[in-house]
Amino acid sequence: MKQLKMAWLFTATLMVSVFSFAQTADEVIDKHLAAIGGKEKLLTLSSVVMEGTLTVQGMEIPVKLTQVHNKGQRVDISAMGMNGYIIQTATEGWTYMPFQGQTKAEATPAEVVKETSDAQIDAQSILLNYKDKGHAVEFLGKEDVEGTECFKLKVTMKNGLVQTLFFDPSTYFNIKTITKSKASGQEVEQTQTYSNFKKVDEGFTFPFAMTGFGPGELVITKVEVNKPVDESLFKPSN
Amino acid sequence: MRKIVFLLSCIVSLQVFSQSKITSATFGMMEARHLGPGTMSGRISAIEGVNSEEGKTLYVGTAGGGVWKTTNAGASFRSIFDKYCQSIGAIAIDQKNPKVVYVGTGESNMRNSVSIGDGLYKSTDAGDNWTKIGLDSTEHIAKIAIDPKNSNTIYVAAPGPLWGDSKHRGLYKSTDAGKTWEKVLYISEKAGCADVALDPSNPDIVYATTWEFRRLPYLFNSGGAGSGIYKSTDAGKTWKELKNGLPPKPFGRVALALAPSAPNNLLAIVESQNTGLYISADGGENWKQQSATLNVISRPFYFSTLVVDPKDAKRVYRPAFTFSYSTDGGYSFTDASNEGGWVHSDHHALWINPNNTNHMYLGTDGGVYLSLDKGGTWIFLLNLPVGQFYHVAADTKEPYNVYGGLQDNGSWVAPSSAPGGVRVGDWKAVYGGDGFWVVPDPSDPNIAYAESQGGDVNRIDLRTIKSMSIKPEQKEGEDKLRWNWNTPIAVGAKNTKNLYVGAQYLYKSTDQGRNWTRISPDLSTNDKKKQEQENSGGLSADNTSAENHCTIFAISESPLDENIIWAGTDDGNLQYTTDGGKTWTNVSKNIAVAGVPAQTWVSSIEPSRFDKNVVYASFDNHMYGDHKTYVGKSSDMGKTWTVFKSDEFSGFAHKVKEDLKNKDLLFIGTEMGLFATVDGGESWFRMKNNVPWYALVRDIQIHPVTNDLIIGTHGRGILVVDDISPMRNLTKDIVDKDVFLFPNKLMVLTTGRFGDGGFPSTGGWVAGNAPSIEPIQYYLKERVNSGDVKIEITDANGKVVQSIPATKRKGVNKISWNQRITPPKVAVSGTKIDQGGFIAPQVLPGEYTLKLKVGNNEYTQKLQVVHDDKSAFTLADRNVQYDAAMKLFRMHEQLAKVVADINDKQKMLKDNMEKVKNAKVKKQLQEYNDKLETLRGELVPTKQKSIFADETRLREDITQVYARICFTEAAPNNLQLDRIKFLQDKVNKADTDNTVLAKQYEEKIKSALVKEGVMEKPKVENKTGGAPVP
Repeated sequence: MKQLKMAWLFTATLMVSVFSFAQTADEVIDKHLAAIGGKEKLLTLSSVVMEGTLTVQGMEIPVKLTQVHNKGQRVDISAMGMNGYIIQTATEGWTYMPFQGQTKAEATPAEVVKETSDAQIDAQSILLNYKDKGHAVEFLGKEDVEGTECFKLKVTMKNGLVQTLFFDPSTYFNIKTITKSKASGQEVEQTQTYSNFKKVDEGFTFPFAMTGFGPGELVITKVEVNKPVDESLFKPSN
Repeated sequence: MRKIVFLLSCIVSLQVFSQSKITSATFGMMEARHLGPGTMSGRISAIEGVNSEEGKTLYVGTAGGGVWKTTNAGASFRSIFDKYCQSIGAIAIDQKNPKVVYVGTGESNMRNSVSIGDGLYKSTDAGDNWTKIGLDSTEHIAKIAIDPKNSNTIYVAAPGPLWGDSKHRGLYKSTDAGKTWEKVLYISEKAGCADVALDPSNPDIVYATTWEFRRLPYLFNSGGAGSGIYKSTDAGKTWKELKNGLPPKPFGRVALALAPSAPNNLLAIVESQNTGLYISADGGENWKQQSATLNVISRPFYFSTLVVDPKDAKRVYRPAFTFSYSTDGGYSFTDASNEGGWVHSDHHALWINPNNTNHMYLGTDGGVYLSLDKGGTWIFLLNLPVGQFYHVAADTKEPYNVYGGLQDNGSWVAPSSAPGGVRVGDWKAVYGGDGFWVVPDPSDPNIAYAESQGGDVNRIDLRTIKSMSIKPEQKEGEDKLRWNWNTPIAVGAKNTKNLYVGAQYLYKSTDQGRNWTRISPDLSTNDKKKQEQENSGGLSADNTSAENHCTIFAISESPLDENIIWAGTDDGNLQYTTDGGKTWTNVSKNIAVAGVPAQTWVSSIEPSRFDKNVVYASFDNHMYGDHKTYVGKSSDMGKTWTVFKSDEFSGFAHKVKEDLKNKDLLFIGTEMGLFATVDGGESWFRMKNNVPWYALVRDIQIHPVTNDLIIGTHGRGILVVDDISPMRNLTKDIVDKDVFLFPNKLMVLTTGRFGDGGFPSTGGWVAGNAPSIEPIQYYLKERVNSGDVKIEITDANGKVVQSIPATKRKGVNKISWNQRITPPKVAVSGTKIDQGGFIAPQVLPGEYTLKLKVGNNEYTQKLQVVHDDKSAFTLADRNVQYDAAMKLFRMHEQLAKVVADINDKQKMLKDNMEKVKNAKVKKQLQEYNDKLETLRGELVPTKQKSIFADETRLREDITQVYARICFTEAAPNNLQLDRIKFLQDKVNKADTDNTVLAKQYEEKIKSALVKEGVMEKPKVENKTGGAPVP
């Protein structure tokens, strides 16, 4: 009997994989949002704070990512007692990298802030209620990502930023994102990959490893959600 | 019950299915490096730009390298067509919505070596994604015209197949943006459409030229009754042939242009008995002849570009053999200057920025040029690696060099790796003309053999690039020698002193071509009907040796026996000798039995290195209109043949290559892809490892020392896949494992093979290098989505030397360990970072343990790290270096602890300062803090404000010596060793000073703080252990 049940499961899986050819953008998005916590739950996400490390030549560099939904994003990097940061809000952005000799926070061009903030300060997922946000999504079939045939979606955001997202069909997690920006008269493409997905206590699933955020892999060691964040963090301190 | 059986069989079949199939993905990170060159690029067939003031977004279509896009006016390009056919005929941008781009595949510069296309593609997002929208069988597309007033209306001029009759030619029209197509102008199965132009003021007026043409392997014809110039005034419904004032028919190819600023003005270069430039001022109703300069009339079948300035109807450009322009509407012409450097001859594309007509881009047989002065002078863009190699070879120098000949671009050599990467300046030209075979002499490192078209074979001294002609001469009583356009040159695989070249006879030399012996009769069919090249060309004679026929095309000596030599011809013969050429056996009939059509070119022969009787051969029948992939294997000296079959195959075959170590590992290169098998040819897969999926793969070599796969492409230059040994070792049972750690090779200690000279490249194509350090390789059956992947190296005592985050992709992963320990914790300063924290001593030779951690599983292996005995850096010196480096390493950590201790104390003092009320105590805290600050100021920078006002303290002093010692492959010098001693003294002194200060203040302060009630119990002990008691 048990074997029969197993067989049914297999058949069901087969059926699913047959039907999966008829995927549409919204189906992929729905499954993705369900996989990372579910629409309802995502709507309750107000802040995410991730801590992790980058490893450069064996030296560990602590990195902290703070995102407050619709308010701002901040990345803190510290090395040898020095702290740098990148801040972005809906209207302003700063970079302070003392490691490279900067002595003051340097402003991000307004054009760049405008183009990128749709993605940067949306903590809940750009795909959640994307139509209401003014984004357009196109389903581009399947494409190989390092050996995994992924669903491919292209998101053109309200302010022009274009992201191509790749979803592992076995989990519906977003394992790769290509971001194309055009602000400041230069076309720039960046690629990020995500892995080691884990569900945190609050029920959200996050990638605990990412590439494209600096040299090598950013390994996340701690994630806190919906923790109150002092918004002065989104102002440059020097 | 039956149901259960059915379901069970489902399970079984699912299990079979779940077994890992070997595909390109299996080899994961084994990705190709694109060596270039950018120095010498390849044929450019189309250039289109987005009409804007800046004119900085352009699409460049190439003869065999796909489509490249720039968004910065050519400062950099990106390849955007890697998954599709690489031969590009035409590009069009919908200027009303420039995100819509059409690419017609199949170049239509109909030379002998032209490739073929597989239809029309469309992108609606500026080249990010492409969809094929039809015209699959046209094979060649010459032009795409979009109605400027209605973007849904598109015309496509398709000359159609070159090597045979076809209905798939003519002028195609779509009125629904490419969804459906209708043929609106069709002449015959022999004549297609070569050009189309729309009147921008009234796009219902359409001009088109038709062209009758045909190639045979041994003859070309341009011209016939089907060629003509046509006009439609009803958007292609009805057509009228234009004749008034034009030369008598028959025509050949016609290049047509209209002046955008005065569209009734037409120009046409009409190939005919009286080839020349003709103009019309009344929309083609009446014509009169203008210029017939050499550049206007040269090779009309090949040079079909004619452009009128978008604003000035009198300014006419003729990019052809040279670049010439007219300011009087085509009556007289001036050639461009070479003031900005030589402009490559043979031009096929020109884009003029309509908003700034001084600004233009020219596509030549050697790449793209930019002009800012209306074509007067040109600047070459060095960043398009689309060279068209015919063959590739390598030597065994360290690093090895690659050699190859380029279509219209001579013969070249370049290192496979070089300081700072392989840059444009690393490529060296060794011979001119069209390049084909360039073969280094394995017995003489100073010599290579190279040639130009038609068997002009030379011995090149690589030190001076002086060449000596060594082409064999006709002897009395022999037929005139027939040399293929791409004449084979081969050195012996068994006896490397043997040098072979082939006309219709095979020649052998054992003294580097100084003297030759003819070792065969005529090995071709010697069919006289195929030897009338002097009649080639059609209306314009064209006999450049490209049509030479009944010649030897492939030569291979058996790697096991120098008396076994195989030779294949361009007219279907495959012959061998087992006695060094005394007798020959023709096996062409046996190949035909296996299904390879007669007359098929033998494109390559690969006698096995494992068994004398085994031979592989590839066959190319495209010149008879047959594009099938024919590659065969015989295990009985050619008596019987098996032709490999695979659904993966595409394109006619150029090369079959057997691996040097694993007899079941084979590669095939075709006009449309690179294919591999690991099971002796049972199943094949397309290699996509950063190899364009449909690359024109002309030649494949495997390096005997580095095990690199070296790929000669006709459009993407030379590609190298470093170290393919995982392909040899991935047996079926390994592939089914979840994780497999490949056996390690000895790891030789090195600080890297090269320095980098200190400056990045200032432009041009730069290829990355092969890794200097042997990477750690492992296989993952599936991408790891949960859990970490990590590599840990431990020493003989089990101490972790370094822990490295590792990649998680499906297939083969490669991780590089820098052979160093984890860097020291260096003192923090707060105002400056110190590079000492990123530098670590190199480990000593010995046995280490390599641990691969995948989630909760561990895979362990011994790792032998050895000293390089060939290096001038001795093991004794290495030990002294290590010892010195470790002293400095420990010094850093000692200093870091002292500074951390000071920082802790200062923090404690500051925290309490505000809480304390007693002024005396306050003062005491301040005093201690100040003294600590003075001490800290000696140890690390505390004031630096700018990188341009450097502050160096003890930490920096240590790092200076530390960095120099760690990065130098030598023993430290005497002064460095002295300096280590006194730096150690300084660190010890800092330690002592800190302890002395602690003794002086700590007790007092603690009891005062307790008294003040701000501290309950002492906290200021040496909790970090920073200051050992002296």
